[in-house]
Amino acid sequence: MDAGRHPLIEVITNAEITGCEGGPGDFTVTVRKNPRYVGDDCVACGLCVDHCPQVGGNEFDMGLKARKAIYRPFPQSVPATYVIDSDACLNFMPHLDERQKRRLDKMAKFKRKIDPNYPPNILVCGHCSDACDVDAIDFDQMPEEISLDVGSILVAVGFQEFDARVLGAYGYGRLPNVVTSLELERMLNASGVTGGHVVRPSDLETPKRIVFIQCVGARGEGGRPYCSRFCCMNAVKDSMLIRQHDPVVEEITILYTDLRAFGKGFDDFVTRSKEAASAEYVRGRPAKVWHDPADDTLQVFVEDTRGHEQRRIPADLVVLSVAAAPNEGAVELAEIFGIETDAHGFIARRDPAVSAVETSREGVFVCGSAVGPQVIPDCVAQASATASRAQLYLTGHRHEEKAEPVEPMDLSGPPRVGVMVCHCGVNIAGVLDVEQLAADAAELTDVVVTSTDLFACSSTGQDELMETIKEHRLNRIVVAACTPRTHEPVFRETLARIGFNPFLLEMVNIRDQCSWVHAGTPEAAQNKARALIRMGVARARHLEPLQEGAAAMTRSALVIGGGIAGIQAATDLAVQGFPVTLVEKSNRLGGRLAEPNLMLLYPTMRPASEVLADKLRRLDASGARILLETEVENITGFVGSFEATLKGAVDEVLPVGAVILAVGADLHDPGAAFRFGELPNVVTSADLERRFVNGDDLGLGAEAPKSAAFVLCVGSREPKGFTGCSRYCCPTAIKQAMELNRRGIDTTVFYRDIRTISTGAEEMYREARGRGVLFVRVPPGHTPEIVGNGRAEAVRCYDELLDRRLEVPADLVVLSVGMRPRQPETDHFHEMLKASVGLDGFFLERHPELAPVETAVEGVLLAGTVQGPKDIVDSVAQASAAAAKAAVFLAHDQVRLDPAVAVVDPEICRGCGDCVEICQFHAPALSETAPGVFAAEINASLCKGCGTCASWCPSGAIAARHFTDRQVLAQIDAFFDEARP
Amino acid sequence: MTQQVSPSAKNAATSPTVFDPRIVVFACNWCSYAGADTAGVSRIQHQPHFRMIRVMCSGRIQPAFVFRAFEKGADGVLVSGCHFGDCHYIFGNERAVEQFAKTMNVVKLLGIEEGRLRLEWISAAEGGRFAEVINEFTDQVRALGPSPFAAEDAIAEIEAPEGGGCQHSDADSDSDAGGGGH
Ligand code: FES
Repeated sequence: MDAGRHPLIEVITNAEITGCEGGPGDFTVTVRKNPRYVGDDCVACGLCVDHCPQVGGNEFDMGLKARKAIYRPFPQSVPATYVIDSDACLNFMPHLDERQKRRLDKMAKFKRKIDPNYPPNILVCGHCSDACDVDAIDFDQMPEEISLDVGSILVAVGFQEFDARVLGAYGYGRLPNVVTSLELERMLNASGVTGGHVVRPSDLETPKRIVFIQCVGARGEGGRPYCSRFCCMNAVKDSMLIRQHDPVVEEITILYTDLRAFGKGFDDFVTRSKEAASAEYVRGRPAKVWHDPADDTLQVFVEDTRGHEQRRIPADLVVLSVAAAPNEGAVELAEIFGIETDAHGFIARRDPAVSAVETSREGVFVCGSAVGPQVIPDCVAQASATASRAQLYLTGHRHEEKAEPVEPMDLSGPPRVGVMVCHCGVNIAGVLDVEQLAADAAELTDVVVTSTDLFACSSTGQDELMETIKEHRLNRIVVAACTPRTHEPVFRETLARIGFNPFLLEMVNIRDQCSWVHAGTPEAAQNKARALIRMGVARARHLEPLQEGAAAMTRSALVIGGGIAGIQAATDLAVQGFPVTLVEKSNRLGGRLAEPNLMLLYPTMRPASEVLADKLRRLDASGARILLETEVENITGFVGSFEATLKGAVDEVLPVGAVILAVGADLHDPGAAFRFGELPNVVTSADLERRFVNGDDLGLGAEAPKSAAFVLCVGSREPKGFTGCSRYCCPTAIKQAMELNRRGIDTTVFYRDIRTISTGAEEMYREARGRGVLFVRVPPGHTPEIVGNGRAEAVRCYDELLDRRLEVPADLVVLSVGMRPRQPETDHFHEMLKASVGLDGFFLERHPELAPVETAVEGVLLAGTVQGPKDIVDSVAQASAAAAKAAVFLAHDQVRLDPAVAVVDPEICRGCGDCVEICQFHAPALSETAPGVFAAEINASLCKGCGTCASWCPSGAIAARHFTDRQVLAQIDAFFDEARP
Repeated sequence: MTQQVSPSAKNAATSPTVFDPRIVVFACNWCSYAGADTAGVSRIQHQPHFRMIRVMCSGRIQPAFVFRAFEKGADGVLVSGCHFGDCHYIFGNERAVEQFAKTMNVVKLLGIEEGRLRLEWISAAEGGRFAEVINEFTDQVRALGPSPFAAEDAIAEIEAPEGGGCQHSDADSDSDAGGGGH
C-alpha cells in the first residue's frame, strides 16, 4: 500500500521482463505489460463484479473460493483496480472493427499455441462495461512493450509452493481432506474463505483431529534438499490459531523432523504453544496417508522415533507443510538478466558472506525468497539491503524534495465550514441520498456552504473544492466520502497547494463504513451518514491549524563497532557519499572474523581472512573515517542532531544525524557446566576453531584424539537464561565435525534439533552424515554427561532411538556455545540512546517484520548480532539494511516533523513524570522550570503522536494535537445532538 | 430524522424491547478503524446503529470520552484497538487496557450495566471480525434496553406500541458479503 502511494515508485503489475541491455548504472529493460482490460479510470467500486456472470477459481484463496472473471486480485492489491481474466471472460471482443478483430484473432491464436485449451469466445457479454460508471472497461487493450532506463535492478521474484502432488503417498490432489499449509492459511484468515475457521473441504465440517506433516518436499524426501525455513513456525502458529478459533478441534498433531525455531523469540513462542497444549509434537516422517472409506477419515502412518514405535494417527484433516520451490520463471528471468542460478533454480548470490544481495552480475541484486526460502524478518532486512546497494548506481539521481513555498491563506476568524458530499458514482449515492445529506449539513452551526460531487477525488472535484474555498472564504473543510486512511493524503495535498492548512480538513467516511456495509438498510444508513457528517462538522469547528515543523539534519552517520556488520554498514553509507565515522574499541577491525578464530566460513568454505580482506578493501575505498581504539563515551540528542562524545584516538564531540549500533555479541561462557575448566580436553567451539587456524595440536596435553564429541545448544535454548536459538552453532558444529572427521577422528554430535537453515547448510548436514559423523538427538529434559577422570573419556546420554543410555568415547569434547548480548556495551548504549532491550537482553527492533533494523528511537539503527544471534550472511544483510534506513534520513537536509503530536501546558503540569514513564519513544522529559519546580516537555522530534500520554496525564496538562479532548468530545456530543430516530 | 428503523427481524422476535441502541465505537487508526474499512471493501454487512470515532491509538481513549458518551445517552460504548504486539506505537494498547479497567469500575459504580461497555482487539485484516463484533455487541446492548442515562425520548419510544410507521428493514449481518450496490 505504501509502495503504491509513493511518488517515486511506479508500480507496473501484470507485466513480464522480455529483455535487458546495458550495464550497471545504465540498464535498458524491456517490459511487456499485459492488458488488464480495465483502464486507469477505475475507481474500484466493484459494480462490474456484481454484473459479471462468469465465475473462475480464485488464486489468492488457493482455489478455495470462486471469483468472477473480472476481479480484484486481493483486497489490498496495488493498483487498486480490477482485472479481467481473459481466459475466463465470456466476451472478449465486443464492438470491434475489422482491424481489431484481426488483432484479437492473432492474439487468440498465440494464446492457443501456449495452451491448446484456450477457449474460443463464443458469447457476447459486456455486462461489466455496461455497469461501469466511469467507462473504465477497455476490451481493446493490447499487450504493450515499454522500455525502462534504470541504474540497477533488484530481483524479488519470491518462491512458489512445491507441488505436493509429486509425493503421491500423501494423497494431495487425490484426497480432498489433505490440504497444503497455504490453503490452511487462507482458511485461518479472518477475511478469508471461511472467515477464520478450519473446515474439511469434503463436507465443510470442522475437523476434530488435525495432523500437520512437516518438511513435505523439503530436506530431501522426494523433493528438494534444502530446508524451507518458515514451515516449522508456521505450523506452530497455525496450531495455536486453530485452538483459539475452533475449540471443537480436539487433537492437533505435528509430525516433524527437527523443530527449527531459529529466529528471535521463536523458541519462546514454541514453548508457549506447548504450554497451551495446542499440539502434540511427534518426531517422525510419515510413510503415507491412507483414506478410510468406511468413515471418511484419514490415517497417517508414521514411525515415532521415540522408541521406534509404529503409529497410525487418525485424522479428519491433514495439512502438508509444503516446501518452497523456486519461482517457475526464475531461470528464464535469470537468463534475460544474465545472472546465475543455483542447482535448485533459485537466483544465486556471488558470495553471501560478502554481500547477501549481490548476484553474479554487477548492478543486479536479489532479495527475499528468490535466493531460497526465507522468513519475513530476513526478507525485509534483505530488501532494505538491496535498496542500499542499488543506490550506489543511482548517484546523481537522488531525489531531493523541492517544495515551492505557497503563501499560506488567512484562515483566522470564526469557523466557516464547507461540507462536500461525494457520490462516488453509485458507491455512495446508490445507497444514500447524497443531496439530502448536503441539505441536512447546511443546517449545522457554522456551515457556510455545502456541495455534492460525482467523484470528489477526481481532478475536477478537487478544482471545485479549491474554488469553493476561495469563493466562500472557508476556513474548515469537511469531505464526506471514503476513508481518510487512503484519501486524506490526497485532499491534504490539494489543500496545501493553495496554502490552506491541511489540518483544517476533516474526512467523514460514508462509503467504506456506511454505504458499503449497510446497503440492506438504506434508511438507517442515511441516519448514520447524517450523524457522521454532523459529528465531523462539530470536530472540524474545533480543528486547529498546525504548522509542519522541521529540524536540521546533520547529514552524517556514526557506526559503532568495527565487526563485519559495522564494516558493511559504514561501507554502504560512505560509498553513497555520506560522511561516516566508524569507531572501534579495539585496535583492529574485523571483530570475530579477525580474532582469529574462524577458519572457513560455511557454506562456501572460504577462509574468513579472505572474506575480511575483501570487506576491508571495500571499506578503505569507500572513504569512511575509521577510528580505532576509540570509545563512545556519551551520545545525546535525537534524530538529525545527535552528539557523540568520542574518546581515544580522538577527543571530540561529533555531530551526526543517525547512529548505527553494531557492537556485536559475546559468546556464552559455559562456566563449570560440562566440566569445562576442570577437564583439559573439554573446549568451546571457538577454542577449537582457533586451534584449527593456528594449526595447534588437538591433543591438549595428550596424544592426538581418536574420537570427539560435540555438545550443541550450550547456553542456548535454556529454560532459565537465554531461551533463544543462537542460529550459527548448528552449521558451525557440523563444519567442525566434518573437519575432525576428515582428520580420521570418530565424531559424534549431540544435538537437540539440527537447525541448518542457512543456504547450503542442509546439504552440508547430509554430507556430514554421509561421511559417517554420528548424530545423536538429546531428547528434551536430558543433558549429555561427560565421563572421565582427569580427562574426558566419553559422553553419556539417553538415546531416544535406542531407548537406552548410550556412551560414546570422546578424547575431545567440544561445547558449541551460544551468543549473549555483549556487556557492558549493551547496557551502556541502552542507557544513552534509550533504545529498548528485549527480554533476551538483545536490542529490540521496532517491529520484527515491518522494521527489523530500526529501534523505537528514530535515527538509531541496529546492524548484526546486537539485535540477536545470527550468522555472517544474515549479519551482513542486516547491516546493509541498517545503512539503507540511515540513508533515508541522511538524504534530506531537514527532518520533517509531524505537528500532530502531544504538547504539555507547563502551567498545568505538576511534574509527576507519569508521561515520561509510559512513553516508548522517550519524547517527554522532565525539566526544572524554576528552582524545585519540574514540568514535562515533549520533544516533537521524538513524539509519534499516539496521544496515549494525553489520556494518561493525571492533571490533564497534555494535549494530543489534532485529537484534542475538545475535538473528540465535540464529536461525541454531536452524535447525541439529534434525538433518537 | 422522521424515519424509524426497527431492529433486525431476528431480534424483534426474541427481545421484548424494540429499539435501536445508540453505540459509540472508538477505534485506533491503524488496526480497528482499518478493520472496519476492510469490512467495507469486502462488503461485509453489519448493523448500522453505531458511530465511529477515530483516534490514532487505543491508548488515546481516556475514561472521560467514555463517560461523556454515556452521559449524553449512549446505550453502549465499544473501545477497540490493535491486537497485543501489533500496536503501531508499541504498547499503547496495553495502556488502553489499564484505562479501560478504570473506566469499567466507574461505569459500574454509576449503575450502568457492564455489558454496555466492551473492549475488543481487531486487526486491519479482520473485516469479518469487525462486523461480527458490531453485530454481537449491538444485539447485546439491544437486549439490555436503553441506557439508564438515555434521554427521555428513548424510553418513550420503547413504551410506544410497535408498528406505526416502523419499517422492518433487515439489518442481518450475514446477508450477501460480496454484493454491494443494490
Ligand atoms: S495503534 Fe492500534 S492500538 Fe495503538
